Amino acid sequence: MIEFSKFILDNGLRVIVHEDRSTPLAAMNILYDAGSKDEDPGLTGLAHLLEHLMYGGSANIPEYDTPLQLAGGDNNAFTNNDITNYYITIPSENVETAFWLESDRMLDPDFTQKKTEIQKNVVIEEFRQRYLNQPYGDVMLILRSLAYTVHPYRWPTIGRDISHIEKIKNEDVRRFFNMNYAPSKAILSLTGNIDSNKAFDLANRWFGSISGRTSKVRNLPAEPQQVKAREITVRRNVPSDALYKAWHIGPRTGDDFYTLDLLTDLLAGGESGRLFNRLVRELNLFSEINAYITSDFDPGLAIISGKIMRGTDIKTAENELIKVVEEIKDGKVSDTEIEKVKNRYETSTVLSNTNILHKAMNLCIYELLGNADMINTDVLNYRNVTKKMVTETVNKYFTPENCSTLHYLSDQLTR
Amino acid sequence: MDNFRKKQPPVKSVNATTGVPVERIVLNNGMSLYMINAGTEDIAKVEFVVKAGMAKESMPLLAGTTNMMLSEGTQHYTAEELNSTLDYYGIFQNLSTDRDTAGLNMFFLNRHIEKALELAVEILFLPVFPEKELTLLMKKRLAGYRISRGKVQNIASDQFYESVFGNNHPYGKQIKEQDFEAITTDLLRDFHSEYYKPGNMAAIISGKIHKNTVQLFEKHFGGFAGQFQPAGNSMNFLKGSDIRKIRIEKPGTVQAAIRIGSATINKRHPDYPGLKILNTILGGYFGSRLMKNIRENKGYTYSIYSSVTSLDQAGYKVISTETGKQYINLAVDEIYREISFLQKEPVKNDELEVVRNYMSGDMVRMFDGPFAIADSFKAVWEFGLDFSYFDRMLISVKTITPEEIMRLANLYYNIDDLYEITAG
Repeated sequence: MIEFSKFILDNGLRVIVHEDRSTPLAAMNILYDAGSKDEDPGLTGLAHLLEHLMYGGSANIPEYDTPLQLAGGDNNAFTNNDITNYYITIPSENVETAFWLESDRMLDPDFTQKKTEIQKNVVIEEFRQRYLNQPYGDVMLILRSLAYTVHPYRWPTIGRDISHIEKIKNEDVRRFFNMNYAPSKAILSLTGNIDSNKAFDLANRWFGSISGRTSKVRNLPAEPQQVKAREITVRRNVPSDALYKAWHIGPRTGDDFYTLDLLTDLLAGGESGRLFNRLVRELNLFSEINAYITSDFDPGLAIISGKIMRGTDIKTAENELIKVVEEIKDGKVSDTEIEKVKNRYETSTVLSNTNILHKAMNLCIYELLGNADMINTDVLNYRNVTKKMVTETVNKYFTPENCSTLHYLSDQLTR
Repeated sequence: MDNFRKKQPPVKSVNATTGVPVERIVLNNGMSLYMINAGTEDIAKVEFVVKAGMAKESMPLLAGTTNMMLSEGTQHYTAEELNSTLDYYGIFQNLSTDRDTAGLNMFFLNRHIEKALELAVEILFLPVFPEKELTLLMKKRLAGYRISRGKVQNIASDQFYESVFGNNHPYGKQIKEQDFEAITTDLLRDFHSEYYKPGNMAAIISGKIHKNTVQLFEKHFGGFAGQFQPAGNSMNFLKGSDIRKIRIEKPGTVQAAIRIGSATINKRHPDYPGLKILNTILGGYFGSRLMKNIRENKGYTYSIYSSVTSLDQAGYKVISTETGKQYINLAVDEIYREISFLQKEPVKNDELEVVRNYMSGDMVRMFDGPFAIADSFKAVWEFGLDFSYFDRMLISVKTITPEEIMRLANLYYNIDDLYEITAG
């Protein structure tokens, strides 16, 4: 049981504190309800570039990193389709430095043309390193734009194309900040070796004086239901063929989320997943196989992907993969199998609770989803999944017309 | 009115508490059991560390394949049964092989400790190395190898290790496709029976530890005795290449990987803590000189860092980055320039203060919670050291002088001795 207290400042900032006295450290997490889905389709990659620029100093602090390091702190951040998240761990006696740094950049970050140009370069190198210069690196770029036609999930957080990043101007960054980074769009959590009352006092002192800003009201186009199977084939300089299949699912807060999460674990979690046992171990058709849900807040995707063994035809491999899914549709699932997945989930929850930073992040995410107390109750949602729910859910979502398929073929193989 | 924001709140210099008790028990079979009792949740991690790393192998892939095959079928379980059982009890298991050690790692809820230990015995001492599973594993590994060789980072790193340590030692030898055909179940059985002995391994358990833990270890492991006779002869020897600079062209890439470094001292050497501090200043943290110059001021790369790594028979330091191909020469020049600054100019006190506090904070993180403490313990145990290594490190961090840093930069970063590998 994770005990916490919650407080809302006048400017709308939500503050959550959880004391854990077993550590000498404190963790601070700030989640902004702003991600790449809030971008203009013609200027993608902006939310992530902004995250980089948040380290370029702010109104009263010329540089972010040095004072934090001087206080023995460590930090990082990530941006995804839904959120931007900044986090710090720091010896608890120096925690006020974290308040000072984070509040000043929520107040007024110092974006300049020069810094923007340099960070655009850094991000372009990141784009090349992670998406263009890796075998299979561009898969999600292709798969997203196949599965989504109107929703902003159709582009990846790094940006749809390098040319988008190149044309971002300093004013665009400022505008995106003003519209999306208001205190009322943020959630601050503190965990670790800190007294709740002291944490609320510090939050008031440092964040309380930031005036509320009006932010953009989110109005995203809903993705229309997919009614026909989609398929795309690409050829790349990679050593083996790979298969990716994506089915549309409901939102993170939907009733089916837990069943689907459990189902993908049953298919490919651990070394004993169904797909692994059949397609890798028994039939040797794939060299690796994976299944997961994207955990997006808006309706996301369930994805099964695998690398095909050399000498195996991708169609044969795909047919066998579909057979495994069809068996689950027919109700061929055992209670032991479901119990197994639930037990794995329990271990990972307990493990995650041993870490103050994980706790800090989870508190913020659950608060954004509706209620921070889900950090304690979510495990029940998994516990309550039944065999019947699994079968029904597979039948509901894993249909051919709801599926987008990517055949990612090797041009190194002679056919 | 916002003036209070101009000044950083007061900062204290922190000290990591390295005096964490680690209890050592020698089990009846000669295996050492180390216990680190801490934490808030009823969960534990046990790590079996075996001195059966790549350094012990007579041919490529032998140590790693032996380790990976441990869970592919045992006396009482088929591969499928074993993995299903682990998953059913929610036991997270991980096998891994490093240059000097190999091991088995398990996380489990304490109510499943008996099952975890029973399965650990199967994995460590009762593997049967079935032919069919080996064939599949080698196919999978070969597929993975081909993908990894498509990445410029790996092409550059593999060449770097070969240049630094030579082709006659597993630290340096590059794996080739045909190596995947040479491994047989007999070779694995021999390697296993030679090295996976209680006397050649230790168990480190961390987390919430219950009173009956030692008793449970005795119950499950007591039956497996076996003294370890260290093999005296080895054909492996270390010798770096005379060619300092290698450029590997890979058409179709948009970035090149750069690796610059050389062999160096390891944790047992008295200069090692100082070298770690020097490395931090150069490229060991986000505020490092390489990051500030090459990423933050020039935008040539997404990331650049340097590291110092201790091995049992050697050590190495390396600067790593990936950069657009048009920036290769510019980035390499800046790397050498930063090294020579450290050799010629004493580090200013402001910068040194930041590094001292950053590293002190980092050491607090290294002792934060049972699992971090266990990792820190393993990192010294492997070298025959104890936590006093971290005390020495902490003293260095607090007291090292700019002159000493300059001395180390001149002694250990002689530019003419560095290997420079680029791939892309």
